[in-house]
Amino acid sequence: MKSRRLPQGGRIDRKKSIRFTWDSKSLNGYQGDTLASALMAAGQQIAGRSFKYHRPRGIMSAGVEESGALVTIGRDSRKEPNVKATVQELYEGLEACGQNAWPSVRNDIGAVNSLLSRFFAAGFYYKTFMGPKALFGRGTGFWMQCEKFIRQAAGMGAASREPDPDCYDHAHAHCDVLVVGSGPAGLSAAIAAARAGLDVLLTEQDFELGGDLLNQDAAADAQRKKLIADACNHGVRIMTRTTAFGLYDHGVAGLVERVSDHLPDINPNLPRQRFWMVRSRYVILATGAIERQIAFGNNDRPGVMTASAGRAYLNRFGILPGERIVIATNNDSVYQPAMELADAGAIVSLIDVRENVPSKLIGQLGGSNISLRIRAAPLCVKGIRQIKALEYTTATSQGWQHGGLEDCDLLLISGGWSPVVNLLSHLGYKPVWNSEQACFVAPETDSPVFMAGSAAAVWNLDDCLVSGQSAGTQVAKLLGCSVRRKKSPAAGGWDGPIKPVYEVSVKGRQLKSLVDPQHDVTADDIRLAHREGFVSVEHLKRYTTLGMATDGGKVGNVIGLALMAEALGRDIPEVGTTTFRPPYTPVSVGALKGRNVGGHFRALRRTPMHDWNLEQGATMTMAGLWHRPWYFARDGEGIEEAYIREATTVRETVGLCDVTSLGKIAVQGPDATEFLNRVYTNPFAKLPIGKARYGIMLRDDGIVMDDGTTWRLSETEYFMTTTTAHAAKVMAWLEELLQTRWQDLKVHLTSVSEQWAGCAVAGPKSRDVIMACAESPDALSNQNLPFMGVAETLLKEGIPCRIARISFSGELAYEVYVPSDYAVSMMNLLWNQAQSLGGCLYGLEALGALRIEKGHVTGAELDGRVTIEDAGLGRMASPNKSFVGSALKNRPELVRDDRPMLVGIKPKDRSKTFNAGSILCKPGHVEGMGEGWVTAVTHSPALGHWIGLGFISGGHEAWQERIAIVTDPLRKDDVEAEIVSPHMYDPEGERMHV
Amino acid sequence: MSKSSPQRISALSGHYVPDLSGELSADGSARVVLEHVPELVLYQVAGWADSMEQVGNRIAVAAGAASAPGPGQAIIGKKGALLRVEPMKWWLIGVEAPEIASQQGAVLDLSHSRTRIRVCGPQARECLNRFLPLDLRAQSFPAGSVASSAIHHVGVALWHVDNYYDLFVPRGFSLFIWDGMVEVARQFGLQVV
Repeated sequence: MKSRRLPQGGRIDRKKSIRFTWDSKSLNGYQGDTLASALMAAGQQIAGRSFKYHRPRGIMSAGVEESGALVTIGRDSRKEPNVKATVQELYEGLEACGQNAWPSVRNDIGAVNSLLSRFFAAGFYYKTFMGPKALFGRGTGFWMQCEKFIRQAAGMGAASREPDPDCYDHAHAHCDVLVVGSGPAGLSAAIAAARAGLDVLLTEQDFELGGDLLNQDAAADAQRKKLIADACNHGVRIMTRTTAFGLYDHGVAGLVERVSDHLPDINPNLPRQRFWMVRSRYVILATGAIERQIAFGNNDRPGVMTASAGRAYLNRFGILPGERIVIATNNDSVYQPAMELADAGAIVSLIDVRENVPSKLIGQLGGSNISLRIRAAPLCVKGIRQIKALEYTTATSQGWQHGGLEDCDLLLISGGWSPVVNLLSHLGYKPVWNSEQACFVAPETDSPVFMAGSAAAVWNLDDCLVSGQSAGTQVAKLLGCSVRRKKSPAAGGWDGPIKPVYEVSVKGRQLKSLVDPQHDVTADDIRLAHREGFVSVEHLKRYTTLGMATDGGKVGNVIGLALMAEALGRDIPEVGTTTFRPPYTPVSVGALKGRNVGGHFRALRRTPMHDWNLEQGATMTMAGLWHRPWYFARDGEGIEEAYIREATTVRETVGLCDVTSLGKIAVQGPDATEFLNRVYTNPFAKLPIGKARYGIMLRDDGIVMDDGTTWRLSETEYFMTTTTAHAAKVMAWLEELLQTRWQDLKVHLTSVSEQWAGCAVAGPKSRDVIMACAESPDALSNQNLPFMGVAETLLKEGIPCRIARISFSGELAYEVYVPSDYAVSMMNLLWNQAQSLGGCLYGLEALGALRIEKGHVTGAELDGRVTIEDAGLGRMASPNKSFVGSALKNRPELVRDDRPMLVGIKPKDRSKTFNAGSILCKPGHVEGMGEGWVTAVTHSPALGHWIGLGFISGGHEAWQERIAIVTDPLRKDDVEAEIVSPHMYDPEGERMHV
Repeated sequence: MSKSSPQRISALSGHYVPDLSGELSADGSARVVLEHVPELVLYQVAGWADSMEQVGNRIAVAAGAASAPGPGQAIIGKKGALLRVEPMKWWLIGVEAPEIASQQGAVLDLSHSRTRIRVCGPQARECLNRFLPLDLRAQSFPAGSVASSAIHHVGVALWHVDNYYDLFVPRGFSLFIWDGMVEVARQFGLQVV
């Protein structure tokens, strides 16, 4: 291929030279070039190496369907493999290199694979990667060892292993009409819809608007400019460098915008790419059509490309892609490009499969010196690193016969056109075969989607414009605008019909005819798959990997289907159809994840005393989305020393703990009491104002859902607390009950988790602390605030607060809540007092230790398998009322005597410990699921040794005088344990009543 | 500090830094201006199916407005603003709620539950749509509109006030969301006032 840049012509700006590197070699291109056009202008013939056989590949197209020039862009952490050079916009300093080749794509040692290609046919892996056992006695294992070497030899480019340094954006947009594609049909559709007053969004994957108008002559360019100006004047919102990669229900489309991929300098304020979710009322797909190849010998050699690509390089990029050009076709579309190439100085000869070429076309050729050979087709390309000649065939009554040899440096092929129906296919519609136009077209649909232009198999320019107007006005009409609907032109538009030809071969000739060049799938592979019984298209695809490369079958699917149909002796529609799935072109994972990475991977929920806790030396831990203090280490302390000290201090004096993360729900209304009485298992009807009650709620199926305390603030208002873990679930569940089952109840629920900041004050001196902080200490005296009492009062500085005397630690304890903006003031008040009494701050780890000693349950125990009886709280299920779960909790399976029940666990040898998550087994039967499991383990400061909570069959009464084995199947560390009551410390609860 | 008004410390306290950065306009101005509006006074007032009208009238008086707004709407009165955030719930902003008998409805102080972030500037809408899937085009969400939505799975309320938007973010998430908005807004040119 002797390509060269022409002195004039094209849409490139010859005044703006751009320097880039290709395989470390410095080259120049122009503003407006793609990497492919710049490489072509620089005379680079080999741009890539094929997937399996390492065949040299040149530029095969000028668009997203490219299968040859797959290259790697950038380096280090910004290295991106498998970029199609044909759509990569050139920018100053761009670094590109060939891939899947060593030392370079020009001279690739891996090309030796090509000599062995007959062994690498479809199914090679399946057939080869097994036995025989005799082979080192290892059978398949041997091949697994080979895998890494084989993987290195085959494949596409390699991605960087470093983290992606760029940022990505997400965005939402809405419009009346989304038009995909800015060719003549897309622009005219957008104008028609916008003219009717609709809000139109037009997206174009290219960096320039115009679609195929960009590839044509000056008159077309003038038309393009006028259309764009019209669109702008009518307020069409236009997005370039934006691919609509997926279409979903109800007019929802996924777009990816390449915001700064084309910019030489990295701008930290701009994302690299932006993922758009567009919600439109109607979608017009003016996505164009892709020119097809024909399968014949060596049809993938450098110097073979689609005819439309040849035209694009000439007219858009000002390049004469070859000096001696052969154009092979089976349809009308190449005649105009042939004349343009001849006018530009190339020696052009045409070979047309058809017997009857329309006289109009022959007449047009009359003035040129283009030779035309009819009933002829390409058979085999001569030349390895680049095309040197084409061996062609002629049609006879006996089939294809050897025709002759024609020297050339460029072969342009047009095997017909495939409308881009991919996006419609994403919605689940099966494209239908149009045998007249030899292509798949969109079916009738009831979706808000219209096809326009060559995407609807409308081939000529004027018809495409009308087709676009028709779609635009149809949509406008459907949206109630008063417009005259334009009639849509029928599919077609050529002077003579296409003659479908998918493969050219001559009996007895062994040819390497590529069907899907990107995955090195040949025509023989298709036939092999057929012989081996893969007659369904879906199986064929998976066996041969046809259409499964990065082009998603844009190039090979139709030919593959046609060859399979021929092998089966059926027509194409009988064999099946092709299903395209999103994305239309590859989308970087970065764009899909957007900014949800690193610290923004998931939302971080801070309590109002978050910074205060950190100032006091808290080490934080995650509790759902919350960050909570884990422990407050003092000098020289690790977590263990810290939490043991903290728990000990709580038992001895007083401790403060941020409990803001507990779920809090305001329950308001005249029926609030009735509501709670139905939700909780225990009675709430007679809870006095100013009192709190511990409650358990079940799911419908009788399993425990959550527990917490609920405070009665007035006749009609309650303050419910839930566990941290289940706060959102409980809120949604209670709201669902109100909205679906109990619509007659006058109750409003509102999450007040964010309104109130909470601090637990626990320990024998907790009353001293809170009384010292209160404006009216008497209100908090033992008498005025007895166990489970609630007070609404003021702390010093006039801070309003709610205090309940409730205990999770088992000590005399209070939960103090203030409006969140006062949290820091509250903590300062409480901490000053607690410190003066020798108290401490404690975190989740100490909280856990205290509650395990007491046998209080949390989410670790209430894990969705546990009944109220299992949790040892059966006495809280009222037999005298009905509540959610009351019926199903009595199912036989849920009341079996041998169900695992909550127990305490102590190592027999008190110096030993064990792990949460371990299994509890009978001695001598350390196997299977065992008799129970361990949910929580701590060192108990009060007892002076390790203890645990867990569930075991029959509960602790069934295990009196018996030893259980705590076994950890992963760590193989068995410990003998005593099974005891879960209430291991102060079982009578005397300490919290003082 | 008087006893009746202890000092409020907002969720952004210590993290709120005035700023002018990012892709500013040629004249150096920002296209997105973010502002934390402190000292939120926010009462939720809910009615029952048979008392919405009475409750609406009561709170309209409290807000100094002619009437209470319908779903998805907001009205600014002489004393305060009313936002209809749920079918049976209003938010009364800027003024204390009147007492309402439980047979008529329920009043709840939520003043500390949300952080109020004001988003202004010529590209405020685009900036918000970097997060929110709402249709904010003028014809769909004119001034006086209110919607509930989500940012990063966190429920938020958005009020199109005038030529700016007020976003109400749950307090515990507000620093996280604020940080995200600052980062995103830089592509438009950001001013934090």
